[in-house]
Amino acid sequence: MIELKQDKLNFSFPEVHPSAKVKITFQRTLRIPDDGDDYPLPPGLGSFPLVHTDDYAKRVPASWAEHGGVVLPMYQSEAMWIHFEGHYDADRGVNYPFAIKVATGKINAVSGLSWEQGLNRTPRQDYVVVPRQPWLDGYCVEKGVIRQFVAMPLGGGYTAEEQVSGKAEHGGLQIMAIPMKREVFEKRFPVVPRARYSFDTVRYSSRPCAKVFETPSMGLAPGGRMKQEIYEDTYDLNDWDLDHNSRCFVHIANSMVWRQITGRNPPTVPPTAEEYNRRGLPWYDYYSDVKAIDGSLTLACMQSVAEIGKEKGATPLPENQGVLPGLVIDIHEKLTKDQVIEFLG
Amino acid sequence: MNATFGQFIRTKRTTLQQAGQGYSVRGLASRLGIQPSYISKVEREEVAPPSEATIHKIAQELGENPDVLLALAGKVSEDLRQVILKRPVLFAELIRQLKDAPDHAVLRIVREVRDGNW
Repeated sequence: MIELKQDKLNFSFPEVHPSAKVKITFQRTLRIPDDGDDYPLPPGLGSFPLVHTDDYAKRVPASWAEHGGVVLPMYQSEAMWIHFEGHYDADRGVNYPFAIKVATGKINAVSGLSWEQGLNRTPRQDYVVVPRQPWLDGYCVEKGVIRQFVAMPLGGGYTAEEQVSGKAEHGGLQIMAIPMKREVFEKRFPVVPRARYSFDTVRYSSRPCAKVFETPSMGLAPGGRMKQEIYEDTYDLNDWDLDHNSRCFVHIANSMVWRQITGRNPPTVPPTAEEYNRRGLPWYDYYSDVKAIDGSLTLACMQSVAEIGKEKGATPLPENQGVLPGLVIDIHEKLTKDQVIEFLG
Repeated sequence: MNATFGQFIRTKRTTLQQAGQGYSVRGLASRLGIQPSYISKVEREEVAPPSEATIHKIAQELGENPDVLLALAGKVSEDLRQVILKRPVLFAELIRQLKDAPDHAVLRIVREVRDGNW
C-alpha cells in the first residue's frame, strides 16, 4: 500500500515482510545549464509538496481524478530529482531491497520504452535498485550520464513523452515499487548479531540540502547533462516479488494551476545554477563499485529543451548560461565506519 | 500488554541497565532533567504518571513508542486529542468497532494513495 505522509510516498508491503518499506520524495533543485557540458549532482532544496488527487477531485481535470495518485506543483522549466529512502532492517543490518520503475508520461526514464507492469532486463534493464540507487535525477541517456528532469507544458513538443511517443497524453510521473521476495531477502541477508553490524549499506537521509483549466498538465522533459550512473541489478530477476507491487501516478500542476486547485502557493522559485555556484555552495558526485548500465538509445536520441527551443527560435530555459562548479563533494556508496565525505573542490 | 506505566518503565530501564551504562535511576533522571526520587516514585506508582512532554522524553531515552507509553499512562497525545475532538462520536465508534480486529484489518483502514485507471 502507499500512504502519503509529510510529502513522502510511503510504500509498504506488510504482507511480504515487516521491513519491506521504501519512501520516495520528489526533491526541488536548481536546473543545471542545458549547454552540452556534463555537470555534477545539484543539491536538494526540500521536497515538493504532495496532495491526494482525491482531495481536490472537483477541481482537477477528469483524467487526473481517473488516474488517482497525487499532485505536486512545478514552475515551468523547474527541475527535480527523485529520492529513494530504503527502510533499515535492524536485525539484518541492511535496507530492504526494492526494484523501482520510473516513467514520465509513461515513457520509462531508464529504458526509454513504453510503460509496462513487470520488470525487464532485456533488451535492457528498465528499473533502478534501491538502496544501491539513492537518487534519480533524469533520463539515462549514456552510461554514467543522465539528462535532468525539467518540467515543461504538455503540447509544446519538449517532453520525453512527446519526443518518444509522438503524443501528449499522460504527462506527470509514474512510479512502481516491487519488493524483494521475503525468502530471498532472509536468505541473502541473514540475521547478524548487533556487534557485527557493518556499514556496508549507507543510509542516506537525503543529499545535503540546503476541469477548469486550459492546459493543466505538465510533463517532464530532458534538460542538461549530469554525471549520474544507473546501476546494474546484481540480484536475480527472479528475486523480485512481482506478485506484490504498488504504483502511483504523480500529476504535475504548474504553479498557477496548483494555486487554483489547492488554494496554496507553491514553494519559492529555486536559485539559478549561476547564483548557487557564485555563493560557493557544493555540488555532488556519487560513486559506487557496481557496474553502471548503458544509456538508452531511444532516450539518447531525444533533443534537450534548449536544443528544441533553439530550433523554434524560443527561449524555454531562462538563465541557461554555463557554470564551472567550484566545490564538488565526493560521496562513495560504501562508506566505512568513521569515513567522512571528502571535498574535491 | 498488562503492565502498568510504572512497571513498564522499571522493567525497560533495568533491562537497558543490565545491557549497558547510563540507565540507573540517577543516570536516566540526569538526562531527563528531573529528580531521581521522582523517577523512583513513578516506577513504584507512588505518584501519577508524568506530563505528556516528560513521557515523550522518557520514550526517547528508552527507545519506546511514545504512544504506547501515553496509553499506559492513561493519556492521549495532544495531536490525537485534536483529531478526535473534530469528530468525537465518529472516532469513538470507530475505535470500539476495531477493538478486536486483527492488525491487518486495522491497517486496511489506513488511508492509501488511490491507484486509479491509467
